[in-house]
Amino acid sequence: MIRMQRTLSLALAATVALAPFASAFIQEKTPETKDEKKDETKDAKDEKKKKEEDRWYAVVGGDVYTGTGAVLRGATILAKNGKIEKIDYDVELPADTKKLDATGYRIYPGLVAISSQGLLGNAAGDYDDTIDPFNSRMILGLAAGITTTGSGSTAVKLKRFSVEGSVIAEKIYAIFSWSNRAPRAKFELREKFKNTADYLRQFRDWEKKVKEQKDLAEPSKKNVDSSCLAVLKGEQTAKFVTGNRDELLGIARLAQEFGFRPVIENAQEAWTVADELGRAGARVILTPRDRAQKDEQQTREGGSSIENAAILHKAGVQIAIVPSAEGVDLGGIAGRDIIHLPIEVGFAVRGGLSEQAALESMTIVPARILGVSHRVGTLEVGKDCDLIVTDGDILHYKSFVQWAVIDGKQVYDKERELFYAQIRPRPAIAAEEKKIDKGESETTAEEKKDVEKTDDEKKDDEKKDEPEKKDGEK
Amino acid sequence: MKKNLLLFSLLSAVCVTSAHADLVAVRVGRAETVAKGVIEHAVIFVEDGKIVTIGEDLPIERGIPVVDKPEWTVMPGLVNCYSRLGADSEGGEDMSPDVKASDELWPQAEEYAEILKYGVTTLGIYPAGNGIPGLAVAVRTKAATKAEMILQDPAYLKVIVRADSSAKKRITDGFKKADEHDEKVKKAREKFDKDKEKKGSKKEEPKKDEPKKEEKPEEKKGVAQEPAVDDPKPDEKKDESKDGFVPPAADAKSKAFVDLRAKSLRALVCLNTAAEYLHWLDALGKEDILWDLRCVMSQDSDLFYVANKKEWDLDQDGIGDKKVHVVMEPRLTLTPGTMRTRNLALEFTNSGAKVVFIPRLDNVAEHKTWLAGVGEIVGAGLKRETALYAMTLGGAEVLGVEKRVGSLEKGKDANMVFLDGDPFEATTRIQAVMLDGKFVFGDVNQ
Repeated sequence: MIRMQRTLSLALAATVALAPFASAFIQEKTPETKDEKKDETKDAKDEKKKKEEDRWYAVVGGDVYTGTGAVLRGATILAKNGKIEKIDYDVELPADTKKLDATGYRIYPGLVAISSQGLLGNAAGDYDDTIDPFNSRMILGLAAGITTTGSGSTAVKLKRFSVEGSVIAEKIYAIFSWSNRAPRAKFELREKFKNTADYLRQFRDWEKKVKEQKDLAEPSKKNVDSSCLAVLKGEQTAKFVTGNRDELLGIARLAQEFGFRPVIENAQEAWTVADELGRAGARVILTPRDRAQKDEQQTREGGSSIENAAILHKAGVQIAIVPSAEGVDLGGIAGRDIIHLPIEVGFAVRGGLSEQAALESMTIVPARILGVSHRVGTLEVGKDCDLIVTDGDILHYKSFVQWAVIDGKQVYDKERELFYAQIRPRPAIAAEEKKIDKGESETTAEEKKDVEKTDDEKKDDEKKDEPEKKDGEK
Repeated sequence: MKKNLLLFSLLSAVCVTSAHADLVAVRVGRAETVAKGVIEHAVIFVEDGKIVTIGEDLPIERGIPVVDKPEWTVMPGLVNCYSRLGADSEGGEDMSPDVKASDELWPQAEEYAEILKYGVTTLGIYPAGNGIPGLAVAVRTKAATKAEMILQDPAYLKVIVRADSSAKKRITDGFKKADEHDEKVKKAREKFDKDKEKKGSKKEEPKKDEPKKEEKPEEKKGVAQEPAVDDPKPDEKKDESKDGFVPPAADAKSKAFVDLRAKSLRALVCLNTAAEYLHWLDALGKEDILWDLRCVMSQDSDLFYVANKKEWDLDQDGIGDKKVHVVMEPRLTLTPGTMRTRNLALEFTNSGAKVVFIPRLDNVAEHKTWLAGVGEIVGAGLKRETALYAMTLGGAEVLGVEKRVGSLEKGKDANMVFLDGDPFEATTRIQAVMLDGKFVFGDVNQ
């Protein structure tokens, strides 16, 4: 944080503004802005050096599910210095490219958890100075495929082994409450938006006129609410938390009246007012397995529905899905916590959501809500090389994330981490066991194995042997 | 080599006998010198508290008193570079790089006499408190007065790093203070040069006096802040060598950081997790200083992630790549979330770091079992030589007293521990301890 404050002004200049909302908050840490103390000549030299030492990374041969709808079977993704340079067939790889052979596997964009707790260590805000990139919950998050997460009002990457460049967006949300139980607060919020909208209109008018009439007074900021102003200017995203039908309707009307796109969390009864929410351009964060009782005194539809996500999507509402527990919970509600994000999304598919929309609900939609869709959420040239390699459909309960890559660097390998390594090991290893099962003697199997093994595999084996050796030494 | 040594020792032995009465020879079965390997049938000549000569089977002139113990093994006196024994003040929470542990020294504390029996002849006492608590001091474990006790003051600056912005800010703030001091020196220099020019061109009487007036109070300041042990001589020399310019002395708060940059002081950075290590490197930035690590070996320490850069493909250099000392307890840890043991001391050593052991807990009883504790790590695969270094010379290096203690070499302080067997054998007991050439423990007939 210390350094970030210093470089804020410079960093803002370097900001790439592709997303229409919250773009002002995205800070790109460029290497040039970091080294302030150096003189210019040295800086230039360093830049040159960096150009010479471009960091190349490639994932070769996998079926690339880009997240945009396109699927490129057996394609190659090439990344340069952490950004995707090329997605194509028969790509010529530069010398000393780090290569991951994903033949037979699927490649998806890294998942974006719209919100989570505990994946970043015991950190609470100020992630640049507090993040713990070695904590085991981060490994579990990556094992679930999550490479970016919202945490409070911040978007952070699960960059293991590094404390730099993890935070990719800050101050995302302006949080408002809209509740039937507090009618006066609803009225006041509307007043706030009205006053702020009036002020904004006057201010825009003044901005035009002041060029000619230089002594024209700036409109007063009296009665202007800073959160409302940030929302109406598009600097922050208005977020509400409710599941109630009437409240959802109220929020939709408020948003339409003042022209902003709200984010609504919970939204159990949203399927009953899907059209209104769609017209208001609302984005909804929901949990398919969430349950809410219908109000029995009402004759109209209500309560939760497994079809919630599907109906909302049909009505044009963008949906992001999150499990009911945002932390890692290995106890009572196992299976409903953040490390089961794709499983939770699977329940939306059960309720009728298309698989493409389901993938989007845990990639590009949450990325848009967090204001980081220009960097993560899909596999496209120019975006960050954040991807996961799975051994099957990401929505299938049997699929495992085999590798996770962030900024063109491998941060997770299932075989190397303790948690799932023993469950359905990768074919290269499973094949050995099968051969022995077939009744062949162990020695012949060993011999065959040695012939068949590529050099890479041998290396892998050597690595596997190492921990055993260490144990032996003890 | 051996011949030379022999000749030399002969000469020195002959020369010395006639002149000095307190020359003593010690003959033991085996000497673990730490610096130069093992010497079988070693003879060590000690005079005036220093080792005069050490070698294999050196002849001893008639008339020199001999301690003849062929069944014993000798090793350098143990060095615990990170302790609070005998000190009991409470520290603050914040930044106090000017606090000195030497201010709270009390030579009569009974702990010192106790740990001396267990072979500990050098102790590093660090200041209490959190944040940046201050400057440690290296001491002998037996002395009549405070001044006599001190080996090196300050020994190192203790810096505590945690994964939070305030801890990181303390470090950057410290270096900012040093920047301010540099600026001050620069300005003083400019002013001095200007005054000198004026002096040269105009040769006016009153202006001649002006710079002198400014210099004098500064000089006094500098002397006043100099630690009592340090000689004021180097400053005088500077005076002569340069054109009479005396840089203003650093104020108490910035001095430690100015010294760190000048590499005349080491930092001992206390951190416990891999994340804190990366945050430390982040806070340190491009500063080039001498630093070592102090890491608590908690049961599920994750420091193996940062042992070296290669294994996990880190962006930054690992602990081993930095080749720093790691002050740690002799303790096996577990891979987090499992029951698989790890020998971090071995992992650090294999990565290139220099492991320095301290007792598992900072109390007298743990000093008694210190050798045995390190023996367990040796049993788990750490090399004997590495372990011996980690209990002696390594600690001396952290304290900046490696030229005086920590190994059995010619010219070093005669601090020795005599054992009745291999130091890391469970049945071995300490038979005698020598500090500055005198037996301070054990029943030894000379």
